[in-house]
Amino acid sequence: MTMIDERRQLSYIAAQAADARVNVELETEGMTLNIGPQHPATHGTLRIIARLDGEQVVWAEPSAGYMHRGYEKLTEVRTFPQVTALVNRIDWLGSFANEVPFILAAEQLMGIEAPPRAQHIRTILFELSRIANVSLFLGDLGVQLGAITPVFMAFRDREYVLNLIEAATGGRFHPNFDRIGGLKDDLPKGWLEDTKASMHKLRTFCDEIEDLLFGNEIFQSRTRGVGIIPKEVALQYGLSGANLRASGVDWDLRRDRSLPMAWDKVDWKVWTHPDGDCFARCWIRLQEVREATKIVDQLCDTVPSGAVMAKVPRIIKVPEGEAWVSTENPLGEMGYYVVSKGDTGPFRVKIRSASFNNISITPWLLKGVLVPDIITILASLYFILGDIDR
Amino acid sequence: MPAFPQKPEVPGLIKGLGVTARTAIRTLFPNRGIKSLIPAPSIGANTVQYPHTKEAPPVRARGVIALREDNCTACMLCVRSCPDWCIYIEGHKDLAPPRRAGGKPRSVNKLDRFDIDYALCMYCGICVEVCPFDALFWSPEFEYSEPHIADLLHDKYKLGEWMETVPEAPELEVGADKKGKK
Repeated sequence: MTMIDERRQLSYIAAQAADARVNVELETEGMTLNIGPQHPATHGTLRIIARLDGEQVVWAEPSAGYMHRGYEKLTEVRTFPQVTALVNRIDWLGSFANEVPFILAAEQLMGIEAPPRAQHIRTILFELSRIANVSLFLGDLGVQLGAITPVFMAFRDREYVLNLIEAATGGRFHPNFDRIGGLKDDLPKGWLEDTKASMHKLRTFCDEIEDLLFGNEIFQSRTRGVGIIPKEVALQYGLSGANLRASGVDWDLRRDRSLPMAWDKVDWKVWTHPDGDCFARCWIRLQEVREATKIVDQLCDTVPSGAVMAKVPRIIKVPEGEAWVSTENPLGEMGYYVVSKGDTGPFRVKIRSASFNNISITPWLLKGVLVPDIITILASLYFILGDIDR
Repeated sequence: MPAFPQKPEVPGLIKGLGVTARTAIRTLFPNRGIKSLIPAPSIGANTVQYPHTKEAPPVRARGVIALREDNCTACMLCVRSCPDWCIYIEGHKDLAPPRRAGGKPRSVNKLDRFDIDYALCMYCGICVEVCPFDALFWSPEFEYSEPHIADLLHDKYKLGEWMETVPEAPELEVGADKKGKK
């Protein structure tokens, strides 16, 4: 029996068992609630099938794939520069961060390294896309829990970051700025100063959100002690990013893996939280935005001069080999396993995106919670649908 | 880690209303010296009234692709490198008068058709980058939406008109190595 059939059978047995318990012990009838695929609280087309017993979830399963775009297959028929434009669209809120691991994998195969200036600017743009991504989460979180003000604040202050990305790369959402061997172009004049001014505004935004949202008693009572993920379970389900750090695991690829980027040149801190509940996950993300603004600030002061592009041939052919590079993206660990056969395009690319693993914990996590808490838990896990389905 | 009090000193409802009131006052009466007392929501607001006032996009913004027809040799590089094949080129060889008197007539590539389908284009900028003859440019112009999807196919005359809106390349940041390509 294949593994999928076995799993399907197991979940069927679980559903039957839940049914039996509902009918015999509690003398109530179970109900199946479909959350999604079209629902304002699912940010995208994720469908959660939940079996309810009154207000309590007995069994739940996410059903992904409504927005599958076949990127892994598509990369096989595209050249390396074209793949960079494609992988932008995986996690559309932090799109520059998607390009970096792929480019690093290709550079590793070609045996070249970007010049120090390019590495610096790459790291700045990487952290800017993290801020753009997570600051939207902080606003979105409020909307899902019934507060409308934070999302206006988030969209107002995220605009500064998007304007910076647009001024440097030309694209607000899909920069397509990273190239094998460096960057497409240097920064325009005055960009670093603008960035530092905007980082100040973003820190004010973090303070405002912490005061208004995180200090709110309704917010606290809805997130504290809800959806607790213990350390061991988080590790077993392969969580990554802020979801893992909120469970008390001190693990950050920016610090733990040596990559040709500039994170080791600045002073910053990896935050962890022992609780593992929804509040911890949100709080970790808030601290991450703050750390990211600090990283950007420090990097803007120390950009080395020089070229932004190493010497690469005009038509890029990546030599035969295999490479795996993963980085700490806004949502968690994102990696590319690139197999090349010496052609202009990759032979096969395996994309490990963070959200897919992060939502795989929902069957375990949603068991026994109340219906309103489903929304809180899904909001705090923070996934991007494009990152799940890709 | 800061310990959040379970019961905040100021109730969340009052704090939230305070934020709303503060933002409303700041929008109506933006801080601009002595004139602060005169309400000026158009200055204080973070948004603009779009059709009347327009925000200028940055110089590098990828709005629309402009074509300098004289430079194009119909080499098909942009067509081949486009990820979703939204560029259509047709050309033919033509005889041009010789450069010097008494010489042989030269053969040049003439462009018959150059279409970009903006309904398909995903604005990646690869075509502008690969063009070896500087025939394609980015312009930050963005107002070209059409009621019919077929009208989004811009032919070479329309693409040529966009050339007027192409800005000069911006100056580069301190420490940059070389002049940027236009």
